[in-house]
Parts: sequence; structure tokens; C-alpha cells
Amino acid sequence: MSTASLSDHIPDLNLITWYAEKQQSYFTRLSPWTKFAFLILIILLVTLPGNLTVIAVLYLVILGAYAAAHLPVRKLFGWYTMPAVFVLSLVGIMAWSEPGNPVISFAVAGFPVILTDKGILLVVTLLLKALIVVTFSLFFLMTTRYMHFSAMIYRIFPSPLDQIFLMAYRFLFLTLAMTGSVLKAVRSRGGGLIHSIRMQGRMFAEVFALVFIRSFERSERVHKAMIARGFSGSYGTATAIPELRYTEYLLICAGAAIVVAVALMTPSLGG
Amino acid sequence: MAHIHLEDGSFTLFWVAVWWVIALVVVAAAIVWIRSVKKTDNRKITLAAFCTAAAFAISQVSLPLFGGVHLNLTPLIGILVGPAFGSLIVLIINILSAAIGHGGWGLVGANLLVNVTEVIVAYGTWKVLKRLIPGAFARAGIATLMGLFCGNLAMIAIILISGVQGVNQTSSQILAGLTLIAGVNMGVAVIEAFITGMIIAAIIKARPDLLEGERP
Repeated sequence: MSTASLSDHIPDLNLITWYAEKQQSYFTRLSPWTKFAFLILIILLVTLPGNLTVIAVLYLVILGAYAAAHLPVRKLFGWYTMPAVFVLSLVGIMAWSEPGNPVISFAVAGFPVILTDKGILLVVTLLLKALIVVTFSLFFLMTTRYMHFSAMIYRIFPSPLDQIFLMAYRFLFLTLAMTGSVLKAVRSRGGGLIHSIRMQGRMFAEVFALVFIRSFERSERVHKAMIARGFSGSYGTATAIPELRYTEYLLICAGAAIVVAVALMTPSLGG
Repeated sequence: MAHIHLEDGSFTLFWVAVWWVIALVVVAAAIVWIRSVKKTDNRKITLAAFCTAAAFAISQVSLPLFGGVHLNLTPLIGILVGPAFGSLIVLIINILSAAIGHGGWGLVGANLLVNVTEVIVAYGTWKVLKRLIPGAFARAGIATLMGLFCGNLAMIAIILISGVQGVNQTSSQILAGLTLIAGVNMGVAVIEAFITGMIIAAIIKARPDLLEGERP
């Protein structure tokens, strides 16, 4: 059971994991720390107010890397739905009041509604920035093995946050499968049709309550089983994370230099 | 559903850093409190992990209401595990969500503050109303509404203070847009309150031991 069965607009975690574990490319051989450093650099770069050309080039470079890693490009465009909706749901509203040269204008109940060139530029810029980070996040997830992620979580987060995170990451696939199974059972009995908000609400509340109760019961069984196997309160990982090579250090330095250069060219940050 | 639905690049670097620092202080306080006051309990950690996985899985389910909405379940997390574990759970959910494009990485700090507001207010309301409203369904529903309402206020405050990069509007114009979004969020909050009330009632009926001091 995959996340695709829960909702058609979110990335399929099982497919992501399959690519992470099975796909081989130059990028899978890179150290996870290198990709983590690049994620931070990319977030910094899109957070700085850059011009549209730079952002468009950055997007194309990351999309190129995604395709070169033999990852599913068509699926990626489908997964763009959610971030695109988020950008449009808030900035799409603000764009209509943005000052600039009018492109579209009409009246609603006597009030003028105007979309300007700067309003459109705002939406396009923020949308591209969002897609840059989403593409790289998915690229990171799909080119890094689970054992390396778990080792990174263990090293980055303090206890008990790392313990909850590591267990939650492992339980996530069980819970997603359980939620999918419960929803499938509901649908097979005629559920899913909108009879009324009350009926739908009751049905989904029962589904969610069942997921929570079964999750708790499962957690108790897992906890007892872990204690039986010698669990002493620390869920450690012994996996060695591949270290950075000299070329990777150079890549990170080059990326950091670009971020610093963009920051220096930004008027509000000293440029 | 008072999540700040903004992606990376929406806030300036300064405000991204400010909200991240405040969020990390909140998480650090929760960790210190769990370690020193509450004492780390293995069973509670396993429960919190499953709660995280369940809340993340359920928040991905699209409900066929109002054209398709999803629930946050932060008030439910607050009622079930309390504010300290709740803060850690919402941090992990926000990180997992950012990894699949559900909110930006830079916005995790701001989102965490909104979600922690929901967790704390819902938990506080749930506890305070115990004597006044003994029925779990109504009490959980009110706690959820209060939590999500305060979460919405926190969201509006954070966006108004930070501003959105590239938006050249007055505060009143931004507030008008945010009020519209908050109105839609509160419509979804009513559905979430109803569903949370039913979940809590079902949990108390099936497993009353999971909620301290509650009887079926």
C-alpha cells in the first residue's frame, strides 16, 4: 500500500524509497552530507531575493540533475501540484492587489480587481523558488539510502527527539499501509460517497480513531518485543555514512561561494 | 488547518532565522523538560513515535469536503500526549512534510510555532474544561476549535510581522488577504473539531487508559 492510495497529489513514499534503495547513479554515490549541505545552500539561495533569470537557471540545473539521476520526471510534475497550490492559495490572492502595470482588470460587485505585471512576476518567482526546493528535496530523498538517513538523524538530533524520529520514520510505512487498508475497506463497503457532511465526518472520524487506536496497540506490542530483544532505551544506528571526497568539498565550497556572491549583490544585505 | 502554506523564498533570510531560532528554543525547552522533569519513559517514546506516524499519515488523507481538505490533527496530538511531546511530534511532522513539498524548509520554524500554539491551547482548554464539560466529544471539539483559532492568529501575526518577499502592499491589504484565508481555515477547523471530538470519544470508549483521568 502506498501513499498514492491516500491522496493523488502527494509524493509516493514507497516509490521514493524504491528509487533510494535500488537506483544507481553518480548522485547515489555522493556522500549524504554533501547533498545535505547543498539542500541548505539551495534554501539560502532561494531565500535571498534573486532575479527571475538566476532562479530559472537554478531550477533547470536541479531538474537536469534529477533527470540525470534516472528519477521519474513525469511523476515529479504530478507531485508539483501541492506546492503549486500552496503558492497560489496565498500569494495568488496577494498578487491581485500588487501595484504595477495592469494586465487584467475587471470589476466584482463594483470593486475593481486588477492583476499587474508585478503581481504575475511575484507568483512566478515564488512558484519557481518553491519548485527548486521541492525538486532538490525529492532528489535528496530518492538518491540516499534509508540506513544513511537514519544514521544522519541519529547524529543530528538530540535524545529523545532522535529516538522518536527514528521510530516514527520506520513506523510511517506501517501506518500509511494501515491507513490505506482501512480506507480501502471503507470504500469497498460503499463509503467515500458524499451523503452529507455529518455522515462523511462520522465515517472519517471512525477511520482516524481506528488508525490511532491500532497505532497505540501496535506501539505497545513493538515496545514489548523490543524490550524482549534487549532494548534499553536507546535506538542507535551503527551505519557509517560515506565520507566526503575532495571533489565534494570543492563542490560545496563552490556552492557556498555562489551563495555569498548572491548575498553580496543583494542591496539589503550589503551589496 | 492553520499551517502556514508558504514555500521557501516567501520570507526574508532574517525572518527565516528569527522563527527558526525561537522554534529551536521551544524544542530545546521541551527536550529539557522531558529529560529532567518528566524523565524519559521508553513506552512514552514509542507511543509518541506511533502518534507521529499516525498523525502524518492521516494528515495526508484528502477529505472529500469543500472540494477536498486535509486535517492538521495538532490539537488531537496536544490532547493525547501533552505539550512537551506534542512539540517534538509537530517538529518531526513539519520536517517530513517539508521533505515532500508540504511547506518550505525555511518555514519549518514558523510552522512549528503555529502548531505548538495549537497543541498548547488545545491541551490547556481540554484540561481546564474538564470540570465544566464532562463529555469528551464536546470538550475535545471546543479544545480543537480554540487551538486552531489561536493557531490562525499566530499564523496571521507571523506573516504580518515577517511580510512576504516581493509583496509591496500595506499591512491592511495583506491583513485583508490573510483574513480571507483564516476564514477558510476556520471553516475547516469546525470539521476538524467535529472529527477530533469523535476520535477522542472513540479512544475513550475503546482505550480509556490512553487518556489520563478519563473514563468511558
